[in-house]
Amino acid sequence: MKRLAAVVALLGLATATAACSGGTTNKSGGSGGGGGGLFTTIDVNRPGLEASAPANPYNPKGNSFPGYSSMKLGWVVNHLTDPNKALPGLAASWELADDNSAITLKLQPNAKWSDGKPVTAEDVKMSIGIAYTQGSTAFSTTPGAAGAAAEVEVVDPQTVKITQDMANPSPKFARGVLDTTILPAHVWSSVLPADFWDKLKAARGEGADAEKAREEITGLGEKVISFAPPKDVSAGPFVLERVNPSEALLVRNKYFFNAANVAPAQVKFLNYTGNEQIWNYLTQGKLDHAGFTAAPTDVMNRIKAASGNEVIKGYSPVAVGMAFNQTKKPYDNVHVRRGLAYLIDRDQVTKVASPEGGTPAATTSGIHQKAAQAWIPETVPQLEQYKPDVAKAETEFKEAGLVKKDGKWTLSDGSPWKVSMHAPSGFSDWLSAQENIKSQLVKAGVDAEVVTTADYPLYLEELAAGKYDVGFWLMALGPAPYDIFQRLYGASNGWSNVAGKVTHSAPGKNNNWMGGPEEIEVDGEKINPGELTGQLNSADEQAAKPIMAKLAKAANQDLPVIQLWDYINAQFVNNNRFTGWPHDDEVLRMGTGVLPSGVWIQQGLIKAKQ
Amino acid sequence: MSATLIPETGSAASEMRRNFWRGVWRVMRRKPSRLVGVVIIAGFILMGVVGPMVLPEHLPSDTNAITQAPSWEHWFGTDPQGRDVLALVITGSRYVLLTAAVTAVITVVVGTAIGLFSGFKRGRWDTVLMRFTDMKLTIPGLPLLLVLATVWQFGSPLQMGLVLGLLGWGGVARAVRSQTLSLRERGFIEAARGLGLSTRHIIGKELLPSMAPYIAMNMLISVTGAVYSQVGLFFLGVLPYESDNWGVMLNLAVFQAGAMITPNALGYLLAPLLAILLLTLGIVLVVDAMDEIFNPRLREE
Repeated sequence: MKRLAAVVALLGLATATAACSGGTTNKSGGSGGGGGGLFTTIDVNRPGLEASAPANPYNPKGNSFPGYSSMKLGWVVNHLTDPNKALPGLAASWELADDNSAITLKLQPNAKWSDGKPVTAEDVKMSIGIAYTQGSTAFSTTPGAAGAAAEVEVVDPQTVKITQDMANPSPKFARGVLDTTILPAHVWSSVLPADFWDKLKAARGEGADAEKAREEITGLGEKVISFAPPKDVSAGPFVLERVNPSEALLVRNKYFFNAANVAPAQVKFLNYTGNEQIWNYLTQGKLDHAGFTAAPTDVMNRIKAASGNEVIKGYSPVAVGMAFNQTKKPYDNVHVRRGLAYLIDRDQVTKVASPEGGTPAATTSGIHQKAAQAWIPETVPQLEQYKPDVAKAETEFKEAGLVKKDGKWTLSDGSPWKVSMHAPSGFSDWLSAQENIKSQLVKAGVDAEVVTTADYPLYLEELAAGKYDVGFWLMALGPAPYDIFQRLYGASNGWSNVAGKVTHSAPGKNNNWMGGPEEIEVDGEKINPGELTGQLNSADEQAAKPIMAKLAKAANQDLPVIQLWDYINAQFVNNNRFTGWPHDDEVLRMGTGVLPSGVWIQQGLIKAKQ
Repeated sequence: MSATLIPETGSAASEMRRNFWRGVWRVMRRKPSRLVGVVIIAGFILMGVVGPMVLPEHLPSDTNAITQAPSWEHWFGTDPQGRDVLALVITGSRYVLLTAAVTAVITVVVGTAIGLFSGFKRGRWDTVLMRFTDMKLTIPGLPLLLVLATVWQFGSPLQMGLVLGLLGWGGVARAVRSQTLSLRERGFIEAARGLGLSTRHIIGKELLPSMAPYIAMNMLISVTGAVYSQVGLFFLGVLPYESDNWGVMLNLAVFQAGAMITPNALGYLLAPLLAILLLTLGIVLVVDAMDEIFNPRLREE
């Protein structure tokens, strides 16, 4: 009996070791089976793998990898001006009505789930229902939300038509539709009640019943997030095989519609908890691809020096600015903000904080400098550059009534002034930047300090509550013009846009923490920047340009933020095992949460090295 | 009568004191390492007191010399802002040492008071206080500090020291109590009681002096504990950011400058580590000397 127990234990141990040792080789053409071998990467959006998390793309910790396993209708790309440009995903093609009123999607004819069942229009419809429970731009139950869908119609098993609610249309309606994750109805249908679509219809109306229906739909959101399919059923090029705390292993989905062109046989996602762990993987040449990870110059040089490594740099429609709470003195005075803009050497800040991941902002325009060249090339040269100039800063400060005493600037009544900058503690580039700005300001006689907040969600909460004087703020979030400017003239500055109607709340109310003026004089004309931004939500490209020019000028002279640097999208790839890495800006970055290398692989761009 | 006696006791006391210092010197001289310990601790105190006075409040940064390897100009290199790492360690020492001192004082005062009281009184008070101490001892310190840090920003070293002190007295209280329990049964205490001397006198003049070395050693050891805890908390990033704090420096060295990957940032990582190591070494050496100073039996060896 004892011997039997020992044998059983030994066998158990052997199986366990076999299970752990799978996929540890990192050579192309290995035992993978499908030819291309193992592809190693990380999910930059999700530090810390959780072995027990379900294969659910809506679960924040879920083991679902957009681009690799989970699929969207299309993969929106990183275009400078067109928000609707996308690569085909589960939708092979689509037709957008001229007036943007409807989009007709044709599904991939050979698309199948990893259990062999075909992907149908019913799957798409159910997935849209699920998207409603989470709220998305196209599928929102908020009455009058811009760019929301009105009708979802299954035309035939391969065709779906989605019409836009033309009461408040948005030029990026198609983007909202294409950026929808598609889930298998035969696995997920239980999460939506049978009368879901009736409820949705009711939710679109007005009155108490509609309100109740909306609450019920949002209530379903929790159920969706916690739903755990018994096993991963995906339509992407890979399907989840297993996860342990150190890695997630995905194997090729033989039913994937473009399986013949998928090079790797297996994909391994390595676990990491912080950037320095990613640096380690990269310097060892372990990763075939990793998304943007901030790294100091020395580390970057080490990464570049590792065999086969290459850093591909592209455009990223994001910038960071130093934002002011204008309800606090002395930041309510535009001359103080301008004075600070003249004091801060943005080149130096970027050199210290983000030498590899950012370009110093050319000026404050509210737009990434590359996008600005595409949208408003004539306006850019007219903008004040705010080149470092101590004399100009002094003039501005004096105009604001500040007083210089013993080489230190004080408020007009002689009380001390300290620029208190806030950042979340994990954001090392922001901290570095603030530390550098602090020393620049101190040198010029402006006292300053850096204060940290435990994490990003708390930081945003406290920022919105108006607790900080100055904080860093992500801005210029392209490509859609409305998205770009709503970071400066949106809810955080008092303008809320409900059902296409823009209303302004007083500083300190409804998350208006920036507290800027409601009207600004630009070129002798009074403008309401929030209303202009609201107009961008429905303006086409030609109509948007003059509005954007005005807003850029307003941001440039009024400085609700000082734009510091525009981000660069640096992608890390290794050429030793796989080749064919794209260098085209547009595909180096995809929609939120999408892992671009998964999309490159499924499009057949990536080839195993011979 | 008494007037003639007073100068005599006075001179006897000063004679004793002189003998004591002579003893200390002898103990120190026997092992040079002990002198090294004293020098190290004196050096740290000097660093904490004078350092921030000599160096500018905002250390100059040079963006052309970011994260440099150690050189003659910068002994431990520069940080990612181009500041001298050694200067950062020196200006940061005040917070660390002040916190440690406050922690040590609170640990010892609270721990000794509770230990002495419950050991001497015994009975119900002893039971209550010791159960309370046991409860306190079972609470793990670091996780509790992590939770506390979310609700309380330890802005000043005094606050930090207060919290660390209030969390750390359990061990001292237990040890002092057991020492008291054993001492109170000794002959000299019994004699004092027999003479009708007050409790205050017995505790203050009889018990405390015999326990002084023990308490002093505990105090020094709690200094190292306080340094580890606060540096650990800062390293984890749960406390407000201070660019010259040793824990923050360690954190930035690893997570911002990449000290595990690039040798240029090694100085930035090693400088605060060395400071902590040296401080611990100094304390251990002094404790070793103290042991002998207060323990006559060891002195004879």
